[in-house]
Amino acid sequence: MSGSETAAKTVKERAKEALRNDFLRQAVRFTTDRLRNARLQAAGEQGNWEAWRERGRQIRSHTIAHLDYYLNRFAENARANGAHVHFAESAEEAVRIVLAIAERKGARMVAKSKSMVTEELHLNRALENIGVKPVETDLGEYIVQLAGETPSHLIIPSIHKNRRQTADLLSKEAGEELPTDTPALAAFVRRRMREVFLAADIGMTGCNFAIAETGSIVVFENEGNARMVSTLPKTQITLMGMERIIPTWADLEVMATLLPRSATGQRLTVYMSGISGPRRPGDGDGPEELHIVIVDNGRSLQLGDPEFQELLNCIRCGACLNVCPVYRHIGGHAYGGTYTGPIGAVLKPAFRKNVAEWDDVADASSLCGACAEACPVKIPLHDMLVALRRRKVEAGRAKRPEALAMRAYAAVMGSAGRLKGALRLGRLAVKPIARDGFIRARIGPLAGWTRHRVFPAPAAEPFRERWTGLRLELEREPAAMDPAVRRRLEEALRRRQAEKREGGDERHGG
Amino acid sequence: MADEAYREWLAGLDAESRRRQQAFLDALAAKLGRPRVTEPPPHPFRGAPDFWKEYELSPEERIERFIANFRASGGHAFRVSGLAEAARFIADKALELGVPAVIRQDEPVLAGLGLESLLPGVEVRVWNEDPAEDWIARAAGAGMGVVLADFAVAHTASIVTLSARGKGRSVSLLPPALAAVIPAGRLFTRLGEVLSRFDETGREGLPAGVHFISGPSRSADIENDLTIGVHGPGIVYALIVDA
Repeated sequence: MSGSETAAKTVKERAKEALRNDFLRQAVRFTTDRLRNARLQAAGEQGNWEAWRERGRQIRSHTIAHLDYYLNRFAENARANGAHVHFAESAEEAVRIVLAIAERKGARMVAKSKSMVTEELHLNRALENIGVKPVETDLGEYIVQLAGETPSHLIIPSIHKNRRQTADLLSKEAGEELPTDTPALAAFVRRRMREVFLAADIGMTGCNFAIAETGSIVVFENEGNARMVSTLPKTQITLMGMERIIPTWADLEVMATLLPRSATGQRLTVYMSGISGPRRPGDGDGPEELHIVIVDNGRSLQLGDPEFQELLNCIRCGACLNVCPVYRHIGGHAYGGTYTGPIGAVLKPAFRKNVAEWDDVADASSLCGACAEACPVKIPLHDMLVALRRRKVEAGRAKRPEALAMRAYAAVMGSAGRLKGALRLGRLAVKPIARDGFIRARIGPLAGWTRHRVFPAPAAEPFRERWTGLRLELEREPAAMDPAVRRRLEEALRRRQAEKREGGDERHGG
Repeated sequence: MADEAYREWLAGLDAESRRRQQAFLDALAAKLGRPRVTEPPPHPFRGAPDFWKEYELSPEERIERFIANFRASGGHAFRVSGLAEAARFIADKALELGVPAVIRQDEPVLAGLGLESLLPGVEVRVWNEDPAEDWIARAAGAGMGVVLADFAVAHTASIVTLSARGKGRSVSLLPPALAAVIPAGRLFTRLGEVLSRFDETGREGLPAGVHFISGPSRSADIENDLTIGVHGPGIVYALIVDA
């Protein structure tokens, strides 16, 4: 069930499948709750969280606004460190570069640490096609790879797999029945992966941040597998989204404060590694050859677009997934792409020029804004989702019934007479199916709603018809207010105004 | 020879990359609606917010904070009065774990621990002392790695090691247990104090690997169940040495 295969179905169909899977729903809710609470606690402990978020946004926005300068700087410095830097405009180009290196090296096995960019490129399949075995070495990614699936959460890729399924997958690989307890399963993976790290011809990593001023790549991880693949194999290939740049190591402190806390609530991931070029002369480990592939693949479409440029600020923490009411119900696979949750719902369409390829993933949101509030670099994801929907309509890609309904709505709301007539008709139409003031019948256009909840029947005497009487009541001299009540109200008003002045422009509080 | 052909091919790839780079970056500038930026742009938001840069713990507080935070991450942290006590601690743990071999970085301070004489039945090796040997295999076969921290950070409870000829990255990575000796004078309050040093040193002064280690290797990928030591060391001792 790879990304492109799942895309054959609609988001709605995939969501339906996910909703039927009770384990998935419980596991996703449990894990996202755990991560969300850990984030809130870590942000609270750090203190001044809003100031950190704002600084994170400033650094990311500044870098993206000068991306040509910083990328150039990074490439020059990385080369001076002895790395080979490559630029790939498209996924195909990035794949071609990696395959060429693997072929020239006569590589048989590639040990991979977590990299969402390689998922985006479907690089594993491409490597398999030329007879090179890619092995995911992150525990969760390994489980997902053995199952022939794709990650369903940015931080916990195997969120959708239970212990039994995991034990079955690993037992099949081990050729013997493994116990289902975590230490036994982890011990098997440790043994198996040690062989992989030592035998792999190429180590492949992603890149959380790239430091322009020194040409260094920075990787955050908890297991140590990214350190392994960047220490043991003779050749290292790092795949890097072109927007991963930050100017300096000082800026890394801000990212290191925001990313782990937002992702898992940790003060810092267990390992944070800064890699500057291949091993130095005399070094006893580290790669002899380091390739860095800088990938565009649709990212540059956001540059200069006032509604979407900030999308490139994303640091891939997954905080927006954990708070999203839609993700929490349907999990990652329903999004049908590499990136899931609110960020995936924006990235997937935004990285594609052709609106026809957008899918309806931007509709998988309630627009509640929880994602934007959780985002450590303050990306207005819900505004972007609205913009995507608007662009889809403007491109004439809205669904026909929806477009018709909107046109009818405009016609009715545009004239008081038509509205009055429509309301009367509506009251008459629902009369046979309304009971005790509610509609439960699953018919017509109401079925989508009434399948899961009841719909309130229109009032017998609607507001518009009661208005004449109501206005007369209002126009009568109001009764004098109790002086005590009046004092209290005035006091409350003064307090609120004073608070507003002190609070300044802090929009999110806390 | 094939090697030469490969080098030639690689040089061709690099030349191709430099050509592409200009078109790639020109396209970005065009999308941003302006000419290429070639001079360093003013970067007024560099690094942490100002209030944070003023945050500093006293040396005592730093030690306490490091120990508390390192323990909270599942590591073992202790304060010891001197190198002799650190040496005894490491030797005791090596015996307790029953490790067949210990591998340490090639650092005078670590040589001064005298682990060889404290661990008569255990093979104590020094990383890269003989370039002919397979040191990765040596590290993989050792039960404990011993490193001297180049820096440490109290707020995040991080041990920082920089790679060098005698300081292999494998020493802090491959053995199932790790012991780090941290001179108290190398312990800072904030991450930024250590990171900004790398800006000051500049590119030429950086080693190939800078590693921040903040506890034992961990994963929660099997049903959220925390497991330690899945790839890197599962047991990590941080010893803060006074003086």
